[in-house]
Amino acid sequence: MTETQKCSCGQNEPKRIIFPCAGQANVGQIINLAAVQLTEEGYGTISCTALLAIGAENLIANALKSDEIVILDGCPMLCAKKIAEAQGLLPGQHLILTEIGLTKGPSKSYTDKDIETVVTACWKGEGRLDTSLISHKKNDEKDTRHGCSCSSNCSSIR
Amino acid sequence: MRIEVLGTGCSKCKRLFANVEQAIKDSNITAEVIKIEDLDAIIERGVMLTPALFINGTVMAEGRIPDVKEIKAMLTE
Repeated sequence: MTETQKCSCGQNEPKRIIFPCAGQANVGQIINLAAVQLTEEGYGTISCTALLAIGAENLIANALKSDEIVILDGCPMLCAKKIAEAQGLLPGQHLILTEIGLTKGPSKSYTDKDIETVVTACWKGEGRLDTSLISHKKNDEKDTRHGCSCSSNCSSIR
Repeated sequence: MRIEVLGTGCSKCKRLFANVEQAIKDSNITAEVIKIEDLDAIIERGVMLTPALFINGTVMAEGRIPDVKEIKAMLTE
């Protein structure tokens, strides 16, 4: 896996929660590693889809508080999406690996390039389902926050 | 059109630059894309959080990475 450089950039990134399908096939393994890399890069926070499946209340509450729910599915079975929807969670982004050029099985092997393909697709927003996040940013935030923890608009101090 | 990506060269700045390049390609427009990595130059522009994206001198995003679709919308505004 690519080593990620830690830095303080991206402090205005929306709070995303990532649910990978974590299936047994190669695409499920790729997704898990991609979700870890996305977490390390500051894109969002990987969360446990199996825990979501059993209806963990705290996890569902956290997901509902996030700015965006990102679902990563390996194949058209859409297990992660179905689990999320069964708990009332609707994704802002939904990526299916077999639709971005990766092949499911029969081999369990994968490369760093496969993981990077998924990570890049997420950063590019290839799985975006609507523009709600964009309009939220434009209307409410306008990128004027200065990275402090007060969550208010600090443009007046500029 | 003049597009500037401000950031010190970390992975997030590279992600933003890649998104900008993709958006320009998808939009089929001609634009001058400039990468500004010098910290003093970044601060001089009033940027407190990187990466930042300027289009024709106007800050469009600061401290986050807009995705390709959002950048395409910015390019047509």
